Amino acid sequence: MASRPATSGLRGTVPWAVPRSFNHLAVLLLAGFLLLGLCGPSVAAELGERIALCTTCHGEAGLPEDPQVPIIWGQHFYYIYVQLKDYKAGRREHEIMSQIVVDLSKQEMQALAQHFSEQAWPAIGFRSSDRDVAQGETAASAGQCVQCHLGGYEGDSRVPRLAGQKASYLERTMLDFKHKKRKNSPSKSPLLASYDAGAIAAMARYLAGF
Amino acid sequence: MTKQLSLITGALAGLALTATVSTAALAEETGSSTVYGDMQSVTQDMLSRAAGDGNNFLHTNGNYKQTRYHPARQINTSNVKNLRPAWIFQTEVVETMETTPIVVNGIMYATTAFNHVYALNARTGEQIWHYKHKMGPITTYCCGPNNRGVAVSGDKVYMGTLDAKLVALDAKTGKQVWEQQIADPELGYSETMAPTAVNGKILIGTNGGEYGIRGFVKAYDAESGKLLWHFHTSPEDSTGVWAEKDATGRDMHRDIAAEKKALKELGDPYKTVGGGVWQNPAVDLEMNRIFFVAGNPSPDLDGSLRPGDNLYTNSLVSVDLDSGEYVCHFQYIAHDVWDLDAVSPPILTDVVNAKGKTVPGLLHAGKTGHVYVHDRRDCSLVRFSEAMVPQENMWTLPTAEGARMLPGANGGVEWSPMAINPELGLTYAMNLHQPMTYHVESSAYPAGKLWLGGAFKVIPSEAQWGNISAVDYNTGKIRWKVKTEQPMIGGVLTTAGGLLFTGEGNGYFKAYDAETGSILWKFQAGAGVNAPPATYTVEGKQYIVVAAGGNTQLNFKRGNNILAFTLAD
Repeated sequence: MASRPATSGLRGTVPWAVPRSFNHLAVLLLAGFLLLGLCGPSVAAELGERIALCTTCHGEAGLPEDPQVPIIWGQHFYYIYVQLKDYKAGRREHEIMSQIVVDLSKQEMQALAQHFSEQAWPAIGFRSSDRDVAQGETAASAGQCVQCHLGGYEGDSRVPRLAGQKASYLERTMLDFKHKKRKNSPSKSPLLASYDAGAIAAMARYLAGF
Repeated sequence: MTKQLSLITGALAGLALTATVSTAALAEETGSSTVYGDMQSVTQDMLSRAAGDGNNFLHTNGNYKQTRYHPARQINTSNVKNLRPAWIFQTEVVETMETTPIVVNGIMYATTAFNHVYALNARTGEQIWHYKHKMGPITTYCCGPNNRGVAVSGDKVYMGTLDAKLVALDAKTGKQVWEQQIADPELGYSETMAPTAVNGKILIGTNGGEYGIRGFVKAYDAESGKLLWHFHTSPEDSTGVWAEKDATGRDMHRDIAAEKKALKELGDPYKTVGGGVWQNPAVDLEMNRIFFVAGNPSPDLDGSLRPGDNLYTNSLVSVDLDSGEYVCHFQYIAHDVWDLDAVSPPILTDVVNAKGKTVPGLLHAGKTGHVYVHDRRDCSLVRFSEAMVPQENMWTLPTAEGARMLPGANGGVEWSPMAINPELGLTYAMNLHQPMTYHVESSAYPAGKLWLGGAFKVIPSEAQWGNISAVDYNTGKIRWKVKTEQPMIGGVLTTAGGLLFTGEGNGYFKAYDAETGSILWKFQAGAGVNAPPATYTVEGKQYIVVAAGGNTQLNFKRGNNILAFTLAD
């Protein structure tokens, strides 16, 4: 599979973007808020608490323990932001996430998305079997998946990275699209509906092994 | 590849790939091959005369008529077998390449995926400058992070970007002079086409037919970047004439009564009906008009939310160059639900009409697999060619389970530009055969997210292939056809040397006899050659240049090479 440059390296700074490291972010936010007299140090601390809350499920080092929880470290900024927006608007539903986003502001969602997009994607060490590769590649080719997710399945902007994502999460997500449990990307449902469960499982293991 | 070619390629790979040339020598060299005017600045006269300029390649499709027929004939059918790599330049982006290198007085401007621009010494491949666009956080594109090249005018180079901007660069330094936000990328707008420079204007369309955009062509002032005019490809009344047959007279199985009922309930869908313009307009300087094709309606497969003909989707459109006002159109497929849209850029050339009279004509190759021949005075259809690829079950409506119909949604002829040989009266189209099933499922407008209204699915058990078809545009008959082992996407170049150049997904770049289709030369580039070739002359030596970066849409092997060839000494 062809390599491509890290997308984050190609992108400019978002007008409302936050700096690279959280420590740096906290210092700058604190300084800015104090300077403007708008609020106190609790804002940065609050964001830190939010991030800490995220890591309880998504992993302190970016590797979630729960097989159904996705890797979000290194995921694309705009994709994460849209998912948070969709949870808040009810376009995407999840027992825990729908609660967590209830009181998040637009700025907080963007800051969280920026923070996690700037972390390194953790290696999961998953090895696809030859059979998974053969079946998964055939299935993904039929769906023309690279047209959006790109050749290395690394995604870009609003299209999520699939490469190296946890197979269990990928499989469940594709099944959720197939059965219309997940509705916030409507074009996925008819595509995934055309696959049987076996093909979806093979695709999940194929993508996890990238 | 021959042993000799392998040796040369190996030697090139062992070197730093670019020769070292002193700045002084470069300046001297670029100052000595002028044909028209001051070559430090691209004048309108140069742009207008490009069809006869054997030294330069000034437009993405060669000239304003977009013939991709270049007058240089040093490399010809007799000696093309001696074509050898002159240099290979490696960009830093290993991804899909659809760029047409533009050459001005020995300086080449080429682009990559994710909007990098390189200025190179066209004789040596030495880098002069490199521009990386500072991409915004939101990009929305369906078919790869492509870019098809720059436009040049005056002392500037122009490029459209994935985050829907138009940037103007200083041609000498690569520094940005100005940028304009063309449209909102969050709503699905993006740019992959090369702009067109004409009469102080920079013309550009938009992608987004898969996201519920309202398509357009816009004209900007080349100096200031100020918007001059904005033509919407969907008028506020987009219903049209409720056409039940396509351009070839086949029934499209529309339920007009249901559509009229939906129109009353939903209103006109013009604000989200798509109609992207993916490729350059042709320019008729005498008529002072431009001609372009508008792409598919949104959502691609679900017509229930967009009653009417969905004007001007899937259409040839002509507008006034100065004002952007509508002049005429011709719709190939009204209310398309197969994404078999109009993408390949139109070509202007004289054609013989049904009465045997020579008229100002226009050619367009459709995803349907037909070449359509028009009278460009009123956009009317003169004829359509024989089908260049298998057509089966047309126009079977998409179903929830998936309906098989040929061609598949990538064509026929995708965005790939044709080239003509006016001496032979032939146009050359590269085709795909990629069987698919068409699935429909209605969903509401998702505000900038992918909005297909269903799915396209390649049938894995069926063979895929491609072909190059030479079509007599004065009769519609196919003169010759060469089958290729993979679907074809990229573009064609023809020359006065009687040659046709085009590349394949398997890495082969080939030269054909334009009259017979015989393969006269080939070179293995190591990655998919899926970009349109160009040609130029420096210091009396003709070069052929092409990018080999593979293709995202068809998932051909990626690379990052720009390869220039010339005759062995």
